[in-house]
Amino acid sequence: MFYRLSGVRHFSYTGDRSLYRIPFERNAALALLAAAILAPWIIGELTLTSLVQPWLIWTSAALGLNLVVGWAGQLHLGYAAVMGVGAYAGTHAARSGVPWEIAIVLAGFASMVIGSVFSIAALRVKGLYLALTTLAMQFVIDWSIVHLSVVSGGALASLRAPDMSLLGFEINGTAGLYYVALAWCVLVTIFMMNLRRSALGRALMAVREKDYAAEIIGVRSFVFKLVAFAASSFIAGVSGAVLIATYYHIVTPDQFSTQVSIQVLAMVIVGGLGSIIGTYLGTALILIMPGLVAALFHGATELFDLRIGVETLAHLPNAAYGALIMGCLLWEPLGLGRLYHNMRSYLIAWPFGYLKK
Amino acid sequence: MEADGEEIALRCTGIERRFHGVVAVTGIDVAIAKGEIFGLVGPNGSGKTTLVNAITGFFPPSSGEIRLNEKVTTGLAPYRIASLGVARTFQNLALFNGLTVLDNILLGRHIHMRPSVWRTALYWWAAQAEEAANREKVEEIIEFMQLESVRDELVDDIPIGVKKRIELARALASEPSLLILDEPMAGMNQEETEYMARFILDARDERDVTVLLIEHQMDVITGICDRVLALNYGEMIATGTPSEVVSDPRVVEAYIGGSREPV
Repeated sequence: MFYRLSGVRHFSYTGDRSLYRIPFERNAALALLAAAILAPWIIGELTLTSLVQPWLIWTSAALGLNLVVGWAGQLHLGYAAVMGVGAYAGTHAARSGVPWEIAIVLAGFASMVIGSVFSIAALRVKGLYLALTTLAMQFVIDWSIVHLSVVSGGALASLRAPDMSLLGFEINGTAGLYYVALAWCVLVTIFMMNLRRSALGRALMAVREKDYAAEIIGVRSFVFKLVAFAASSFIAGVSGAVLIATYYHIVTPDQFSTQVSIQVLAMVIVGGLGSIIGTYLGTALILIMPGLVAALFHGATELFDLRIGVETLAHLPNAAYGALIMGCLLWEPLGLGRLYHNMRSYLIAWPFGYLKK
Repeated sequence: MEADGEEIALRCTGIERRFHGVVAVTGIDVAIAKGEIFGLVGPNGSGKTTLVNAITGFFPPSSGEIRLNEKVTTGLAPYRIASLGVARTFQNLALFNGLTVLDNILLGRHIHMRPSVWRTALYWWAAQAEEAANREKVEEIIEFMQLESVRDELVDDIPIGVKKRIELARALASEPSLLILDEPMAGMNQEETEYMARFILDARDERDVTVLLIEHQMDVITGICDRVLALNYGEMIATGTPSEVVSDPRVVEAYIGGSREPV
């Protein structure tokens, strides 16, 4: 309906490969970006800091995981640990007086180094074995963070991150911190969009689809898997540091536990493997769903005067949340991104549905 | 066997490949001249694909030497051999599902491109020109293989005859000097087979490739090949022009069995 291909012509190969081939989509994206920039004036402070900002940060992190799982096709169950490395590296650097803008980059590189070292070992196996090896990496890093008091300050300790400042400007107040998160999210999104049209992205997808056929056209599978892990670890590290610097403000070992790894993986899977807009939608769903389900059950118990024990009540949201993931996988294995894509291709042809695309 | 006085594209000397106790191919001596269409025939299990896998580096030969344009390639990894100008297609298709036809053929250009994280991040300054230049080469191939109408479709949804053409296009996109085709006509009807034969001839004539063709349809072999090698049980049983090989009694025996001597 809004998307019209007729009249849209590209006369150069560069134009044909622009980020948005349909002007309507480009304008919609620009409008969204403008809305995001004006958000501090549009929506309430509580919504901004408790919903929008974590959504942006977790989306950046989930996009990094999607690079490994969706693009390169390698299952990764230790992603939160890699984020944790970045969070601790960034916090320690900032505490020892390094400016935040450098500390954040350092966090990325620390994660990249540790993530790559682990993946050199992990990438010798495939599929479920790789999943288990990355899970082992999660536990090893968790254990190290908790037991090395140099890193965590002790199992129950929490480290306070210094106040954010970038390029000499103090960043305080909700809007400033929100903009930091927004800027990082936009950077990661642009990188992922470029990945979709670059030689690197194609090579990663070749490795995902058929690694023997990739080798025969000259793609070194092992090297490209490693590149995917390294790049995604960098994104994880920076996202972890941004999460601490702009949102949590203190860092504790349990912020990056196995459960968080599963949660980020759920964002990617529910959102859609290899889909950027899907990752946004999946992250939103996973973040708000526990709260919504809890509210629903609380409402139901009061309305029908159900006598559900407090303990059961605490577990019900988790069950509903699991059911949601399973339902997504059963009915739409490519997630919300696929739903969006179907809607888009329907609208492009509407009302002439018999036409293809 | 030796092609007379010509430049050699591929030379195999004493190739043997064992899988533990099984000898899959042994004693293969063959030299393919530049610009030849060279047929490789033999019954199922005679070692044709094993020989191809040895040449492309998937299963390096247990002994013997392979030279590509007089450069030794024995034991190199497949991606290295690919970058030296060997491209192949697979008997049962190895296209990348979930990608468009265009992206599949662009992947054929991989060895001519420099994929990296920073080029992706700084796409406009570091990759855009390279992408456009390679796209131009790919469009040439798309036109050559007559694939314009399916350019933007996912390869998953495409009929098998066209898929075979896309795979040949991907192989040609790398501008190979040696093109190995593993049963490119398998599962095709007569018309598609003739089209494919025409594409192979055109590729040789217009794009300067040497072709090593595995095929079971003897009319294709006799129709387009310059020379033919027949294998049986991993050994060479006949070489020469197609008509010589097809009428060779050992080839006839290998395919349809010989008369049995009374015991």
